[in-house]
Amino acid sequence: MRALLASLRDGRGFDISLISITMTFLLLFCGVPLIYNAIMSFQEVDIFNLNTFIRPWVGFDNYRALFADATTLPIFYNTLVFVFFSIAGQFLVGFALALFFSLKFSGSTYLRGLFLVSWVMPGLVVGAIWNWILSGDFGILNHVLKYIGVISDNIFWRSDIHFSLWAVIIANIWLGTAFNMILLSVGLAAIPNDIYEAAQLDGANAIQRFRTITLPMMRATIGAVVSLGLIFTLQQFDLFAAITSGGPANSSNVAQYRAWEMSFKEYDFARGATISVLMIGVVMIASIIYVRSTKQEIRG
Amino acid sequence: MSEGIQIEINNLNKHFGHLHVLKNINLSIPKGEFVALVGPSGCGKSTLLRSIAGLEKISSGDMSIAGEIVNHLPPRKRDIAMVFQSYALYPHMNVQDNLTYSLRIKGMKKKSANIEAAKVAKTIGLSELLQRYPRELSGGQRQRVAMGRAIIREPKAFLFDEPLSNLDASLRVHMRKEIRSLHDKLGATSVYVTHDQIEAMTMADQVVVLNEGEIVQQGSPLELYDSPVNKFVAGFIGSPAMNFIKGIVSSDGRSVELQFKVKQKISLKSVFTPGMTVDVGIRPEHLDINASQTNLKVAVNSMEATGSSTYYVADTEPALSFIEQGRSSIVDRENVNLYVAPEHVYLFDAKSGLAL
Repeated sequence: MRALLASLRDGRGFDISLISITMTFLLLFCGVPLIYNAIMSFQEVDIFNLNTFIRPWVGFDNYRALFADATTLPIFYNTLVFVFFSIAGQFLVGFALALFFSLKFSGSTYLRGLFLVSWVMPGLVVGAIWNWILSGDFGILNHVLKYIGVISDNIFWRSDIHFSLWAVIIANIWLGTAFNMILLSVGLAAIPNDIYEAAQLDGANAIQRFRTITLPMMRATIGAVVSLGLIFTLQQFDLFAAITSGGPANSSNVAQYRAWEMSFKEYDFARGATISVLMIGVVMIASIIYVRSTKQEIRG
Repeated sequence: MSEGIQIEINNLNKHFGHLHVLKNINLSIPKGEFVALVGPSGCGKSTLLRSIAGLEKISSGDMSIAGEIVNHLPPRKRDIAMVFQSYALYPHMNVQDNLTYSLRIKGMKKKSANIEAAKVAKTIGLSELLQRYPRELSGGQRQRVAMGRAIIREPKAFLFDEPLSNLDASLRVHMRKEIRSLHDKLGATSVYVTHDQIEAMTMADQVVVLNEGEIVQQGSPLELYDSPVNKFVAGFIGSPAMNFIKGIVSSDGRSVELQFKVKQKISLKSVFTPGMTVDVGIRPEHLDINASQTNLKVAVNSMEATGSSTYYVADTEPALSFIEQGRSSIVDRENVNLYVAPEHVYLFDAKSGLAL
């Protein structure tokens, strides 16, 4: 008993008890639902057997039914477009801003801090604001585009099937840029200045320095930013709920929003679970890339 | 522009905001010479070096390298190599790629660049390490890579910014010789910044002493040691540092009275203004403990024996330090007789600090 107490106080027992609290929490609230969700995707679930665990086992029927549904593939395609262009936009704008603020002009740190405002705003609020900006009749975006002569007629961003997905992408880029910028700024700040000076003396111009010093030394950070971006964009739900609700005619619907619709609007829990399981697979791959890229960080 | 001058600096000034960090610097460095810029920290020596490299913009004045005015040339167009205190190796490249970086930037094919790298690696003993990354190298090896990266380019001049200060003492002594012999082998022009006067004295052909942004004196190491222009140079060059004692020149001008508690007189090499207040400078190694004659009596306060020599500090105000070669021969610590030859007594103006 005494030995147990002693090890709890300053031995391995303390470490184990700390870890076990977290592990219990994670297993109970993440692990079990994850497995439950995976099991549900192989079962026939309806309103009447929702309260039991033993339900008819249907094998891959739910998966087959999902892919037989004509709306599924367009929705997955939308997801792909949404993820790719959101990440590309967030990364490019974020990197450009990070480089800009790394010039360290007076007031740059305060300005950079201001950019974080977008990151702390709730998605639903951001969505509501973008609804105003994107509004077809009185939105400021249409006004600006018309003023500079890009368009001649109003675009109905949220209700035109050609633009509805892009409406969410634009809002999502705005929402995620600050996070990208901050992570990339940290990566940039970690590159010692004398390496750039050495490269200058070695004859490298600004573009060559960016290509041969900045980019390779940022590899770990970029890997982390992109894989975190993948996870965050696959999680993005609020903006869809606030801006388009996946419509019109599923033109802006994506997998994560579709899974919610299936489960909680159409009460087809099995189909909702099936989509979620497919997404878990993608997120897992992203997580592995993230973990590996942070491991490979270069230290001078 | 005279022939054979590799780096010429005329009336160079540098301001950082209100701070005037380099004041009217004039310096010409002949081709093939090893010049050390030395001074206490904050004297502007690193700023001067970085100005030559183009990493700092100069506020006014002219700078030319190999006959070409470079005031407005960016570092990459100056064809100068620099070895940084931190080495500044590219951490994501192996030694070979670090060495060939400048060549590849210039557009040389990787294959022929690697042949050059192999040659350079051989001269500085890095052949075994070409595939290693900087993080896998010891401090001394990193230092070598930094050197190799500089010499592979055959630049117009080498700049060294305290390159040895991160190495341990024995390696530092070794690298001192190596850098100097490399310089001789390449026939290069080198500018070497250090705060360590021994490094400057042992490596350089010319030593430039800076203080508070000004060149105080320049000359060969022994010139600086033998005839410092002022009290600052006298105190900075030589180790252990020169003793300074307040003194008053006697009425005949041939001797000076040291203002210890018990005043003592020592004779001078020539005649000075009688009654003048001066700072008397005497190097510790010039206070002879075993001479046949004597002109100073002191009591020893502390002594340190290193084996090869013994360092003493006398019980005077200010404390006088002196050295005896070999083991201590003092019998009575309260009564030690010293002798300083008149030619080794330096006088400095008490106000301006200039040598008299």
